[in-house]
Amino acid sequence: MRITPAEIAALSLSIKVALFSLVIMFPPGLLVGWLLAKRTFPGKAFLNTLVMCPLVLPPIVSGYVLLILFGRHGFIGGFIYQIFGIEIVFSQVAVIIAVSIISFPLLVRGIVTGMESVPLELENAARTLGASPLKVFWTITFPLAYRGIVGGTILGFSKSLGEFGATIMVAGNIPDKTQTMALAIFSAVHLGEDASVYRLVFISTVVAFIALWLTERFTLR
Amino acid sequence: MVESTKIRLDFRKSLGSFTLAVDCTLETKVSAFLGVSGSGKSTLLNCVSGTLTPDEGEIAFGDEILYASASKINVPPEKRRFGYVFQEGYLFPHLTVAQNIRYGQPNPRKSSDAVDVLEISELLQRYPNELSGGQRQRVAIARALAMEPRMLLMDEPLAALDSALKDRIIPYLHHVKEVFEIPILYITHAFSEAMTLADEAFLIADGEIVASGEPHRLLTAPSAMPIAQLTGVENILFLPVTASDKARGLTVLEIGNQSLMIPYIDIKIGEVVPVAIRAEDIIISLEPNLSISARNVLPGKIRNLDVKNDRTWVSILVERHHLAVKITHEAREQLQLREGLAVYCVIKASAINLMWD
Repeated sequence: MRITPAEIAALSLSIKVALFSLVIMFPPGLLVGWLLAKRTFPGKAFLNTLVMCPLVLPPIVSGYVLLILFGRHGFIGGFIYQIFGIEIVFSQVAVIIAVSIISFPLLVRGIVTGMESVPLELENAARTLGASPLKVFWTITFPLAYRGIVGGTILGFSKSLGEFGATIMVAGNIPDKTQTMALAIFSAVHLGEDASVYRLVFISTVVAFIALWLTERFTLR
Repeated sequence: MVESTKIRLDFRKSLGSFTLAVDCTLETKVSAFLGVSGSGKSTLLNCVSGTLTPDEGEIAFGDEILYASASKINVPPEKRRFGYVFQEGYLFPHLTVAQNIRYGQPNPRKSSDAVDVLEISELLQRYPNELSGGQRQRVAIARALAMEPRMLLMDEPLAALDSALKDRIIPYLHHVKEVFEIPILYITHAFSEAMTLADEAFLIADGEIVASGEPHRLLTAPSAMPIAQLTGVENILFLPVTASDKARGLTVLEIGNQSLMIPYIDIKIGEVVPVAIRAEDIIISLEPNLSISARNVLPGKIRNLDVKNDRTWVSILVERHHLAVKITHEAREQLQLREGLAVYCVIKASAINLMWD
């Protein structure tokens, strides 16, 4: 099996983007997960719905919304263009934005599940032992929610690796620039490059399998 | 002995349709709140610890106000420095015993006296899931003491343990009471614990304090109502053991100049045991010499008759003990019961239960 440079570029872009997105989205994921799992506040149902939306919307629709928002005349994109003179759409940054938005719900779900499994009584016990809410979070909630957090992280990462719909809408399908694995497979199928399709499908399957297997290993006892 | 800090509890807290409303001052070293589950004991303790915020009122520890709705003061639990021992222990499962104990310790490098007092030095490297129920509770108590608290809050620390284990832990609690000069607020549904540990007890029912006082006196008070509310048992007596016969399956207690036979218990002669008899389990007879199987026929005198909706409550004085007896109106009329009448109380041995809990 000989992998072409274009295929390697697609694979490495996918991995790079998925890692970047994870690093960027993990802190807000923790915060949102903690809010949803441990706090009651007005607008909680709305926040939950907003975060989970990309999970149920067709990715194409999420991508379209992002395209409108980040376009040169869009609400956010226009602002960035005016200040920095940078265009977001059809760039690698757009890929990162697209996969981040799509994978965020999976990350948050895992974190919420993990944190919900930590009994409030343990956190209260820590408070009575003199721990501030922040110390309680880092010494009790976080380590005990570990499995859920790892699970959400790996699922989110896998989702990022394979994201297609939102990416193609907001970042296009530019070889060597914004063409991820999923987009490369799409192009190869279209061009009838069967050998390339098989290789990419094989690689994707192996990566997805490993990610899922890791999730199981970390989340199951 | 150091004089105890006064703890003022005067607050209200509603949870759904349930309301807890207390107004009391704790002045003794160990104060026990006695009540059935759902009476509001745990709510009370959570409000004192700060993990639950009352709706209104005031909580003060000595001169320091911890909660006051009027001046919007609410000291968070981590600033109150009250050691809390939970019924379920709530040890941190991902930390070893040593790490659990260090968690709240002001100076983690110093070894805590609590480890010695509770004899857990051999367990320090274990994780909570490697401990037995009794060990877990000892660690929980040690963890609460290691933080050098100003007060100890104990929420039924023995309730999850079987009676043999309870008997083993109680001496540790006595030890804690002697060694650590801090007030203890203890909640329980078990008389025996309140009896042995507390200097003052508060009976709590449906979110209110219905009686308070020195535990022994509280439980033997002629007004049986608070105790009945607490347990559904109207008569509680503290009687010394005079004989015990395993072969015959009987233990004999002394009630004044009379004997009271109860099912055999393994206990030393001379020891005083608390026994409970339900008001409807006592039969009133006008004759002493009946051919019946019941082992106990005690002479007494009717002090008082109280006609309630469906039953008549008869208070009978037996050898300086008041017994509350519940009978039908029909029985009262047929026997022509009246104040001052000499009667006999007939009680089956098996109707007399030991109040160990």
